[in-house]
Amino acid sequence: MSHAGDKVGTWIGWAFFADLANALALTFGYMFSRSVTMQYPDKEKWLPYARYRGHHFLKRDDEGEIKCVACELCAKICPCDCIEVIPYEDEKGNRHPAKFEIDTARCLFCGLCEDACPADAIALGQQYEFSSFSSRDLVIGRDDLLGKPGKATTGGAVVAARLNTEHDVLVETSELQGYNWWRNIRRT
Amino acid sequence: MELIVALGLIVFKVAFLIAILLLLPLPLTWLERKIAGHIQQRMGPMRVGWHGLLQPVADGIKLLTKEDHIPAEADRFLFKLAPILALAPPFVVFVAIPFGETVSVLGAEITLYVSNMNVALLFVFAVIGIEVYGVIFGGWAANSKYAVLGSLRTCAQMISYEIPMGFAVIGVVMLAQSMSLLEIVRAQADVWNIVYQPVGFFVFFVAGLAEAQRIPFDLAEAEGDLGAGFHTEYSGIRFAFFMVSEYAIMLLVSVLVVILFFGGWNGVLLPLPPILWFVLKVAFFVYVFIWFRFTFPRYRYDQLMAIGWKVLLPLSMANIIITGVLLGATAAP
Ligand code: SF4
Ligand code: SF4
Repeated sequence: MSHAGDKVGTWIGWAFFADLANALALTFGYMFSRSVTMQYPDKEKWLPYARYRGHHFLKRDDEGEIKCVACELCAKICPCDCIEVIPYEDEKGNRHPAKFEIDTARCLFCGLCEDACPADAIALGQQYEFSSFSSRDLVIGRDDLLGKPGKATTGGAVVAARLNTEHDVLVETSELQGYNWWRNIRRT
Repeated sequence: MELIVALGLIVFKVAFLIAILLLLPLPLTWLERKIAGHIQQRMGPMRVGWHGLLQPVADGIKLLTKEDHIPAEADRFLFKLAPILALAPPFVVFVAIPFGETVSVLGAEITLYVSNMNVALLFVFAVIGIEVYGVIFGGWAANSKYAVLGSLRTCAQMISYEIPMGFAVIGVVMLAQSMSLLEIVRAQADVWNIVYQPVGFFVFFVAGLAEAQRIPFDLAEAEGDLGAGFHTEYSGIRFAFFMVSEYAIMLLVSVLVVILFFGGWNGVLLPLPPILWFVLKVAFFVYVFIWFRFTFPRYRYDQLMAIGWKVLLPLSMANIIITGVLLGATAAP
């Protein structure tokens, strides 16, 4: 009996376009749900998680000397062969890189250089905006790498940002504690 | 003197109408993209102007300055004729559409329609039938597989759906005892036709969707399988013509639905000015069109034909017969 009732119900629903009406109700509901768009780069920016592997940076030790001992292990392990290190010896007899270049155009951001480094001198940071008009500009030298921002402590959030077109396409973040983007995802 | 004033008034009305119809696609495209965005949890255009309000203007400038490309193998005459054929009829039709009774401006009574034809409904259907030639010629002249397939589909679709569309309004004509759109609206002063003619409305609206070639019946330009259908090869301003025509027809179908079934400018409950009622109702149906577009998938071609011939046609015929019997029964004594 109930089976037949189900069938009749299905047919009545079919005749009155129950499925189409359901679809319309669903899309109407979605129209007033929060949008998941991240307004990058005009208003917001995604701050990646702290473990994100972005732009490389070289570290300094406590005395301000570059930590890298120019052992070239990173250059050896790099699967893309994109690190070039030329060592020199300073007056104290310590090895340091005279030239340290990473071709970020070829780099695949695997992070192996960070893992291989015996001196904990190189690591991959949070920065991911380094597009440029020429691939040659993507070869980053030693001094630039020393100036790059270090490992992040927070991340995984959307922060307020602003597009700066004065000299470069730059995103400036103002608040560090962003909002969790996942709250926008509608779960039904 | 009288004649000159009357003529001037008509010219002014026509110019006003054309300006509105030409400019309306700008807010409509913006609205469509915004609604699409929000239905899909996006934001739609945001960067040009406040919430992307100037985006259609930017698009318009882009379309005007783009290269107007004609394929080498195309039939040049038909190719150039088609956009005009597609654009003109929807504009012409609006001549017969009333937007209200009269308004008094500076003490003079001005009617809110260009002409009150006694066969306005017939005129509308006859003229809108010409529009299909634009689509067919456009697809044929481009000499491209996609375009031809698109226009062949349009051809069959238009013929199949114009019949139930025409039948669906017969019920309305029977109720109003007139083919004049003005009379039809006046006849709905107390009760809107939707109460007497729900089936007629349903058939008319579905056929209207097909006529305007909107989802779920947009087989003529099915992006997924035909590139862009009949206007695949069009670019620049000629493409814009097709766009404007599409929006004008969408508007026309909304206006017709409101006039024929939803009481035109007759309001209920709220004492708003009649023209505002009219605009609100039309806006609602335009929204419904856009809402449908981002809700439903496209029907398959055989399904389209089955709906047209096996569902809508019998429904509209039954509607005529039942309306006739009921009218006869109530009028008998
Ligand atoms: S991240 Fe990988 S590819 Fe990039 S420089 Fe380091 S080792 Fe080479
Ligand atoms: S960065 Fe580390 S692995 Fe690479 S050369 Fe310097 S010390 Fe060696």
